[in-house]
Amino acid sequence: MFQTNRRTFLGSVANGLQGAALASLFSQEFFSGRQLPGAETPHHSARRAFDLTPKQTHFKPRAKAVIQLFMQGGPSQVDLFDPKPELDRNHGKSILKDIAKDLSSPDAAGGLMRSPFKFARHGQSGTYVSELLPHLSKFVDDIAVVRSMFNTHQNHEPALFKIHSGKLMPGLPSLGSWVTYGLGSENQNLPAYVVLDSPEGQLPTNAGQNWQSGYLPPLYQGTRMRSKGTPILNLKPETDEPSDVERLSRDLLARLDWIHKEQRPGELQLDARIASYELAARMQLSASNALDITQESPQTLKAYGIGEKTTDAYGRQCLLARRLVERGVRFVQLFTSGQQWDNHSSIGTSLPNICEKTDLPIAGLLADLKQRGLLNDVLVVWGGEFGRLPIAQMRDGTDLRKAGRDHGPPGFSVWFAGAGIKGGTVYGNTDEIGWNAAENRVSVNDWHATILHALGLHSEELFFEHHGFKEKLTGVEKVRIVNEIFA
Amino acid sequence: MTDARGILPSTAAYGTLMPCQVPSTTLTRRFLMPVPFRFFAVPAFCLAVFLTPPMLVSGDERNSPVFENDILPIFEARCADCHNAAARKGDLDLSSMAGVRKGGESGESAVLESLEDSMLWIMIEGGDMPPEGETPLTDSEMELIRRWIEGGAMSASIEETPVTQHQVLPYLYTRCVVCHGARRKEANLDLRTVESILKGGKSGPVVVPGNPDDSLILKRIHAKDMPPPKELIRAGVRPMEPSEIELLTKWIEQGAISHEIAPDVQTSVPDSLVSDEDRKFWAFQPPQKPPVPATDISPIDAFIQQKLKARALTPSPEAEKLTLIRRVAFDLTGLPPDWNDVERFLNDESKNWYTNVVDHYLKSDRYGERWGRYWLDVAGYADSEGKRSADPVREHAWRYRDYVIRSFNNDKPYNQFLLEQLAGDELYDFENAETVTDEMMDALVATGFLRMVPDGTGSDIVDTVAERVEVVADEIEVLGSSVMGLTLRCAQCHSHKYDPIPQRDYYRLVSVFQGAYDVYDWLKPTSVANQSKQKDPSRRYLAHVSDNVVSGWKAGRQPIEDQIRDAQKEIADREAEFRAQLIEEKLTDIPDEVRSDVQALLDQPKKKRSEAQIQLAEKYEKQLTATTDELEKQFPEFKKLKAAADKKIKALQTDLPPQPMIRALWDRGEPSPTWIFRRGEFTNPGDLVGPGVPSVLTDGRTPFVTAPRRPGSTGRRLAFAEWLTDAKHPLTARVIVNRIWYHHFSRGIVESLGNFGQTGVAPTHPELLDWLAVSFMENGWSFKWLHRQIMFSDVYRQSSALRPESEERDSDNRWLSRMPLRRLEAEPLRDSLLATSGELDVTAFGEPDSVTVRGDGLVTANRQEAGWRRTVYVQQRRKDLPSILETFDLPQMNPNCVTRPNSMVASQALHLLNNGMVRELALQFAQRIETKAGNDRYKQVEYVYQDALSRKPTAEETQLALETLSLLTAEWDRHRTAEERPTADSDVSPPPAETQALANFCHVIMNSAEFLFVD
Repeated sequence: MFQTNRRTFLGSVANGLQGAALASLFSQEFFSGRQLPGAETPHHSARRAFDLTPKQTHFKPRAKAVIQLFMQGGPSQVDLFDPKPELDRNHGKSILKDIAKDLSSPDAAGGLMRSPFKFARHGQSGTYVSELLPHLSKFVDDIAVVRSMFNTHQNHEPALFKIHSGKLMPGLPSLGSWVTYGLGSENQNLPAYVVLDSPEGQLPTNAGQNWQSGYLPPLYQGTRMRSKGTPILNLKPETDEPSDVERLSRDLLARLDWIHKEQRPGELQLDARIASYELAARMQLSASNALDITQESPQTLKAYGIGEKTTDAYGRQCLLARRLVERGVRFVQLFTSGQQWDNHSSIGTSLPNICEKTDLPIAGLLADLKQRGLLNDVLVVWGGEFGRLPIAQMRDGTDLRKAGRDHGPPGFSVWFAGAGIKGGTVYGNTDEIGWNAAENRVSVNDWHATILHALGLHSEELFFEHHGFKEKLTGVEKVRIVNEIFA
Repeated sequence: MTDARGILPSTAAYGTLMPCQVPSTTLTRRFLMPVPFRFFAVPAFCLAVFLTPPMLVSGDERNSPVFENDILPIFEARCADCHNAAARKGDLDLSSMAGVRKGGESGESAVLESLEDSMLWIMIEGGDMPPEGETPLTDSEMELIRRWIEGGAMSASIEETPVTQHQVLPYLYTRCVVCHGARRKEANLDLRTVESILKGGKSGPVVVPGNPDDSLILKRIHAKDMPPPKELIRAGVRPMEPSEIELLTKWIEQGAISHEIAPDVQTSVPDSLVSDEDRKFWAFQPPQKPPVPATDISPIDAFIQQKLKARALTPSPEAEKLTLIRRVAFDLTGLPPDWNDVERFLNDESKNWYTNVVDHYLKSDRYGERWGRYWLDVAGYADSEGKRSADPVREHAWRYRDYVIRSFNNDKPYNQFLLEQLAGDELYDFENAETVTDEMMDALVATGFLRMVPDGTGSDIVDTVAERVEVVADEIEVLGSSVMGLTLRCAQCHSHKYDPIPQRDYYRLVSVFQGAYDVYDWLKPTSVANQSKQKDPSRRYLAHVSDNVVSGWKAGRQPIEDQIRDAQKEIADREAEFRAQLIEEKLTDIPDEVRSDVQALLDQPKKKRSEAQIQLAEKYEKQLTATTDELEKQFPEFKKLKAAADKKIKALQTDLPPQPMIRALWDRGEPSPTWIFRRGEFTNPGDLVGPGVPSVLTDGRTPFVTAPRRPGSTGRRLAFAEWLTDAKHPLTARVIVNRIWYHHFSRGIVESLGNFGQTGVAPTHPELLDWLAVSFMENGWSFKWLHRQIMFSDVYRQSSALRPESEERDSDNRWLSRMPLRRLEAEPLRDSLLATSGELDVTAFGEPDSVTVRGDGLVTANRQEAGWRRTVYVQQRRKDLPSILETFDLPQMNPNCVTRPNSMVASQALHLLNNGMVRELALQFAQRIETKAGNDRYKQVEYVYQDALSRKPTAEETQLALETLSLLTAEWDRHRTAEERPTADSDVSPPPAETQALANFCHVIMNSAEFLFVD
């Protein structure tokens, strides 16, 4: 690059440098060899300057990125991954007197209820999966099912806070925020932590509080990308204007900032600000590009179920997730619309519905990641904030056909796939009726520590100083990494 | 050996015997490991087994070590130098089994049933004990200790300490006194003292000493009648844990022994956990005014230059006049200077010109909005309760915000400011006052400082003791970080690891607050009792507003009430007409002979009717009356009128200003006792403590004395506040002057603003800090005095230009060799956008402006009639912060904010570039410029620079602007002709190309670095 001097730079707008050329000039000329103020290690908070450049892991990572398929509402473990013959044998038996104090609505509690769905063993591993997930069943040898997760609250809101941020209360940094705080991002043109909510439109319970950054700087907050309309807040001007007008404005801004900066040599803050404008401009392009699924082949679209009524919405989310991790986004979190896993009633029909919407797209995602070699580097995690109880819940009297299941925090199933996961694993167990996690219990904190571990982060060493405390995602609880699921 | 007996229950066979308190809540994973489940084989199927699996028996009992034989020798050799009966370091005596069981300062036995829970083992295993420098324990010693604890901590001595009321009462407070206590005495029963327990209630004594089986309290508990299952949620209690019931049973069995136990308070005997050595740490010593090192310059400069010289640094030259004007204006008001003022200052050739500038802005009403906001950050101000997903709106919180702003504008002395915020309710006898004066009300509003933390207890399901404990802990955290510069909360669960703050000091503070925040006798934070509980007065709001406020409120209601009355009367009149008509019609059905008699009844008052008339009225009741329903059925016209009137009245009623209330904290005079919660767990109460202050901040020999000023209050917070605002207090003045300094220079003399303790950052200029602290107090704790001292100094008036020497030797500007370049914070940025565009509505105070949340998540404050109000008046809801503020680092208050982050990210650029409101403001700005400058592009550019950047453009900049403007105009023209012309019936036509171009230019200026940064 040539050496700019002030004259040529400020020369007439009409024959001067313009638009993108100017942008590249800024970044290359003025920032070459300059260290922007930023945290060198992920745990240094004294300077209060933060960025998203890639950070050192604590040890060699298995995964570079995470796709979290979050199933809010509470998928029923005994109808999906955790068959319980004892429920068949004791179907209808009431255990109410023993459990009343653990129920939020004892009035609606029925007896033990067998699963209305059939289970079969699949794959080499012989992992049990119910008939509701025929597509996922083909991938059991790639996934590790954990049947012994537990959460500590019966209500959605606190349970969601717990699973996303480690405690039962709002206002704390979410898992994705911690991951991007710890690792930065491989792509500086896209947000590091992307949330894909459902095109069907209903935000999950707790809405944006699920992906907040809490006391971490807002830089680490999840960015909600929508697959319709403007994908990111303020990504495009809200009012239309001719493209030349925009170019001229940008150009003038660059020049004025240059004058301002030239009078204040050595001010790193000003470099950082200009860099943020540069990034904003690149993001406009990158984000639109990343979300443009017309670039995909018809076969790919089909594999994700895009174009099919039931699977279109979730298929799009899954495909976008792949496109984002492919581009170096660190943490992608998918939410289903509303509370479709919250099957309080008619579980015989409501659970198949949501399974049908998500099963094929998830299988499509796993196949696609695998085929592109991405599955080696991407950790896929599936699960909700809790599971469901093995007894019937009958809100409308005694009609068993309309029975559902109430929230079940004491024991539920989740699964992992991808980077370093030992496929075909089934870890932990619930008790004989699938109520409590009994064997090899995995707490939410353990689960968090395990995901961090896959990313090369030690949960004890990933902290942020806040009010004199070294705050951690896993808090003060002792955690145990579920090493058994790793190869 | 044969006498040896486990002092801990190691199997269920131990039955109800609990020689040593064991926390039932701390089941560790070890106990939850595979347990053989055979439910379906067991006849009485019981799921409870899932939840409380049998304890594991570990070790071979015959081989279990015994304290006296195996362990005591180790302790004597390795631990007893510090932990003996006399020295009792950390309050721990390991020279006897009794000492081990008494445990350390939290009062929890050093050995518990689980190895991992035993503090003794935690300290040994973690390598914390023996401490650094001492020989570590050998592996075999550790192994022996491990086996001893795992084997049940056997001891040869059988020490049966009887259970006392002291162990039992905390659980009755936790589970029962909400209904059987101070405020409510269901069944006339009060369970707060042994005396009242023995007296019993409606059904007689509830405890028969020595006879658990006949004790009503246990019968009711065992029958699960108490606490009443249906009341659990409403009362915010949970049933007793089995271990608690066992303890209660045992206490009754042993005769319901009552020991006089006085709470542990500060006395003239120093606390063994805090030494005079600890008090020598700089921040715990009262500040002394140091000698000023030079006299020819201001004291501040003398201290600053002394440090600069030592590092071969020189101060930067004075900044230009224009720069100083802009700096002072933003610093004191958070707004760009008005160009008229700038010109006036520029023309002021006097020696005092700069003093005039500073004084001008110090006098501005905008000053309190700027500096009050800083205080609201540390107070954790929010207009919502937080904690829950719904984040309910916090009514009337804004009065506290207004109090803070007014206090800054009036330069309220900081000691008074603190006194009111910490104990305003204890200053006046507001409850018995004939009229509530403005001062009284102000003092009550001020206590809103202690009501700002997230509080989820407004919801029955959340309102549990655990949650209340959190509220108190958050308040203490706020108090510590904002006012005291201490991380007090660390001592909630254990003695502070770095600072000499024992756990009991934390609970003494809890006790200070207990007169108002009583976790056993709680008031809900909601302002309006919900419908089902309108009679429940237990909400934490006061209606003691001053007469001025009441009359203002009534005056505001009057016109609306009049309208409502008019509307009601109007419809009532019409209804009467229709009714008369209907009755008239009905009367025709009555036989002619009685009709006139019946008709006469209509005018006859009921009481004056004769016997015959009464009979007649009964007979023809239907004909004599007409309900509203009937009227609506009969007359469609009336139905319509009625619906319209109802709608109107309802709308008017919602317009009625709500009754003014105060979100206050007040002492209720009857605090429950305060127990130390071992490990911070309320289910694990330890020693009883009384009110007090951290010992390290006192001489250790002065008891904490309360002298209530208001009848019916404990006076605890008043005593605390008076202690805190004493001129000898080591921290209060230092912490606040440091904070004020930080806001002027973006860097505190102590960098860790909320932590002056051992883990904080040492002051860069300790003498300056002390000089400022003492002088601040000497000058009446006046903020405005402090601003003047700082802003008149040379160091403040320096240029911000980075010089090579600063870059080399003062790169982080720790020594203040220049003024830092500062990015506007969220509020000044938004306010500047509004001010520049002419859309700022400077109406101060009152209800916050609401916000709108758009479908895509964008949150924007709503415009008021005259424009947008300053950001400090926008609703600060925890979950829906306006996007621009959140993007520019306004934090969610959880619970407060000591230092804001200062980020520089793309979303900020995206917001300023693309956000619709910013673009709209740019257009408003352009139109305002056009009205001033007409079509003269040259003038337009000049005015834009003046209004937005407080200066005139250079020739170069003018040329650049003019060229761009003409290109932009041409583009817009071209675009216009290409586009379809707006049709005649479109009511909004886009602005002309010239205006559009100017708006683009304004938008660029509002996006420029110069707009965002202050030199």
